[in-house]
Amino acid sequence: MLLTPTLLLAGCERTLNALLARDPAAPNRLAALSGSRLLIRFEQPHLALLLAYHAAGVDLLPGDEVDESEADAVVELTPETFSEWLGGASLERLMFEGKLAVRGRIGVLEATRELFFDLDLDWEGELATWLGATPAHSLAQGMRRLGRFGLRAKEELFQDVSEYVFEEAKLLPGRAQREVLRDALTELDEATDRLEARFHRLERRLKALATERAS
Amino acid sequence: MSPTEKRTTHFGYQEVPLDEKASRVADVFHSVAARYDVMNDLMSFGIHRVWKRLTIERAGVRPGHRVLDIAGGTGDLTLKFSRLVGPRGKVVLADINASMLNVGRDKLIDNGVGGNVEYVQANAECLPFPDNHFDCITIAFGLRNVTDKDAALRSMARVLKPGGRLLVLEFSKPDNPLLTKAYDEYSFRFLPRIGELVAKDGESYRYLAESIRMHPDQETLKAMMEAAGLERVEYTNLTGGIVALHRGIKL
Repeated sequence: MLLTPTLLLAGCERTLNALLARDPAAPNRLAALSGSRLLIRFEQPHLALLLAYHAAGVDLLPGDEVDESEADAVVELTPETFSEWLGGASLERLMFEGKLAVRGRIGVLEATRELFFDLDLDWEGELATWLGATPAHSLAQGMRRLGRFGLRAKEELFQDVSEYVFEEAKLLPGRAQREVLRDALTELDEATDRLEARFHRLERRLKALATERAS
Repeated sequence: MSPTEKRTTHFGYQEVPLDEKASRVADVFHSVAARYDVMNDLMSFGIHRVWKRLTIERAGVRPGHRVLDIAGGTGDLTLKFSRLVGPRGKVVLADINASMLNVGRDKLIDNGVGGNVEYVQANAECLPFPDNHFDCITIAFGLRNVTDKDAALRSMARVLKPGGRLLVLEFSKPDNPLLTKAYDEYSFRFLPRIGELVAKDGESYRYLAESIRMHPDQETLKAMMEAAGLERVEYTNLTGGIVALHRGIKL
């Protein structure tokens, strides 16, 4: 169990570095970040993580025993804020709302988001190392074609559904028509009640006349 | 016969003259150097990487530090340390064995490590560095091959700065009898066969298993570190005590 956090960190680090190695834009971004250390502290669950950047990637280390002075930037945040930040919320807004505390060089934080969330992976290059350039290109072309077909099919489906809903909506009564109908139905309901009451009165009178004649 | 010739030490389960052990250990590592990393992965099923990673985490190395990696072998720890200390820091990869040092240097150069790493062929018992020089010293799977372990620990304590850390990652004694039994079977039957198949040298791996059994257990090594002048010595058993990570601080 002692080795589990170490093993998890090793796995995450290897995955991140493998992804960064596939991004043609990563070397320049890493060169700018190289030597920087970012300490991330989560409030709930309590967790501290140190990201140490170097020219070839990032080292992930537990940050529990790390002093703030050893990091270029320190971020304290909750998991909700983290997900907002990942979702593209502006750092300034999160800071002004008091959801995010940052000390040190804020630029490291912005550069980190750019590094990990603007990843543009060169899958074709990776495939080419395994399959060779021509098969990899054919396979990548096929996948791109499939992707484009999927996107086109999705767009057409949305278009068809919206047109269908639009046409169907035309046949449905509007709010004003519905209110007129409701008023007419209410009037009909009241008229029916009145007619029923008259029938009952007439029936009572007929019964009374029949009783008088019999006596 | 001089008194030195009469004194003996262990080389695995054998008793050999004191001044012969270093050359016999050197022969073992000359023989396995080329396939050292492959064998480590095979023997430990890759877990040695996690043990070394934990050592790095506990080292607390930061930019600008001077780190000494003794018996650094093929440079697994040095590679990571060189990134952590940055261009302002320095890592010294020291090994008594030239073959291991060459393999380590080639591997590090292949990984783009250059400016902040120095390579020194040195005996851990008499380290060629000034007093109070390093912020952190590590020795991973090397101490058991040293002839005079007490002298080596004293030498390490000498070159360590006050406040600096010494980390010793080494095979130790499992705390579970069942695990001990399984581990013995694995070490004495399986290990030499893998060594024979992969490194074409079963004897060296038989020595490895024997040298592990002759190495001091956790508490003894802790006492040795304290006797060498280190304080707050603590150890962590890894994988049921098959390996232990000792850490001491020079105050």
